[in-house]
Amino acid sequence: MGIESSAHTLGVGIVHSGKVLANEKAMFRITDKGLIPSRVADFHSKNVGKVIRSALKSAGLKMSDIDAIGYTRGPGLGPCLRVGELVARSIHELLGIPLFAVNHAVAHIEITRTLSKVRDPLALYVSGGNSQIIGAIEDGFRHYHVYGETFDIGAGNMIDNFARAAKMKPAWGSTVAKVAEGGKYIQLPYTVKGMDFTFTGLLTHATKLLATNDLKDVAYSLQETAFAMLCEATERALLLTKKKDLLLCGGVAQSRRLQAMLKSMTRAHGIGFHVAPDQYNADNGAMIAIVAEEMLNSDVKQSSSDFGIDQRYRIDSVRLPWL
Amino acid sequence: MAMRLISEGAEAQILSAEVLGISAVVKRRIRKEYRARQLDEAIMSSRAKTEARILALATTNGINAPVVLLIDGFDLYMSRIDGVRPGRLSKTQAREAGIILSKLHNLGIAHGDFTPANLLVSGGKLYVIDFGLAEITRSIEEKALDLLLMNRSVGMAAAKSFLSGYSTSSAEHTKVVRKLKEIEMRGRYQSRTLAPQGTLLQNQQDSLRCLRGRKR
Repeated sequence: MGIESSAHTLGVGIVHSGKVLANEKAMFRITDKGLIPSRVADFHSKNVGKVIRSALKSAGLKMSDIDAIGYTRGPGLGPCLRVGELVARSIHELLGIPLFAVNHAVAHIEITRTLSKVRDPLALYVSGGNSQIIGAIEDGFRHYHVYGETFDIGAGNMIDNFARAAKMKPAWGSTVAKVAEGGKYIQLPYTVKGMDFTFTGLLTHATKLLATNDLKDVAYSLQETAFAMLCEATERALLLTKKKDLLLCGGVAQSRRLQAMLKSMTRAHGIGFHVAPDQYNADNGAMIAIVAEEMLNSDVKQSSSDFGIDQRYRIDSVRLPWL
Repeated sequence: MAMRLISEGAEAQILSAEVLGISAVVKRRIRKEYRARQLDEAIMSSRAKTEARILALATTNGINAPVVLLIDGFDLYMSRIDGVRPGRLSKTQAREAGIILSKLHNLGIAHGDFTPANLLVSGGKLYVIDFGLAEITRSIEEKALDLLLMNRSVGMAAAKSFLSGYSTSSAEHTKVVRKLKEIEMRGRYQSRTLAPQGTLLQNQQDSLRCLRGRKR
């Protein structure tokens, strides 16, 4: 069983041999105020019991059938992470089953990698808070290495901020995508440096254009520019690493436009493109369960210093003995 | 005019060409189907222009580099340098590379991909090519990264000659070399970035990315 609580989603997933048996979630409803961590944590505390019960129900299992428990150690919002950690720790103590602290970004990649059955892909992980190009390397130990990433904010956060400035209703990513349909292109700042990129200049410029331009055109141009930057940086990383498969994961992976652009780019190089169904791209518990199972099967030993939470838990410090 | 493909990368093809009887190469940027057409053209056009501007600045200031002959749409025509890659840099060549880089830096140009793969020996002289990642910048860090990339790509002895060549004529060499040391000291990626001599350019660029990733 895996518990995810790093941001506005409280997710509980159950897996067995890489197969998802349950993936239940409760989502804090985002208002125009955004996320207030303590309120979201309250929401998670209130709902965690209910979501665990519904996960067990949909998997047709009892709590005593669970043989290991994983939770998100980070990165994420402190108060929210704490809820998942506390619940997982309690289950671990009560049932006497192994406890695993899981990295959120590793989990996003691993669920998509497992579902698409690829061994050694390059991953583009794009969510609200993160935008990174990641691949596994071996240097002393096997771990994910960040080839390129945003120098400022995540792509999702950027789109959300724009939508808020344009007074749109959440959920922002899909609202912006809808508004952008049939827009005309207006030139916006495009900043890619090697395999890294920045989004704040683009955001500021696009927000300013709102006063004098059609919202549809600005939304379209913003989305096209941001996604093209991600594509170019990813393309460079693919040619550099010579990986044969690309995974797209994270909340923004649900964007059909981004999927189509990456598909076109990878096709030109004969590289496989993989993306999971939407429920696994948004934050979820199944991805935490998948990693916990991998850790259990490969005999990962974690000690008390590995538990707790870490709001800035970097992906490159995580050992991946199962890869 | 028949054009023959010389090399191909993610962003552009290099083809042989001829301009007014002069033997030339053309850098032809590749259209990206995934990009909105206007965005694609804006990117190709601005990059072709930047590259041409930097090449012009360099060559008119006595740097041995391809001379811009013509810009046709997004195609950049340059004089052809009939030379060979130096492979393993001799001490003299490494020193000369250092002098060339210091001159580029004095002009405010960071090359962005300064490795032996982008050097050519022709008529006993060393030429520098591929300004596709070059930029006009005041950033000491960008300049230090040029040094770093070359240092990582050659052996210890050549690296020493390269640095001494650089230091003889760079206006800011103290600052740049200090920055280079600082970058080399940055954090846990350091051991990984010491690529063995003679490994592929890719590895070196990868190392550079590792270090850049530590900026935050």
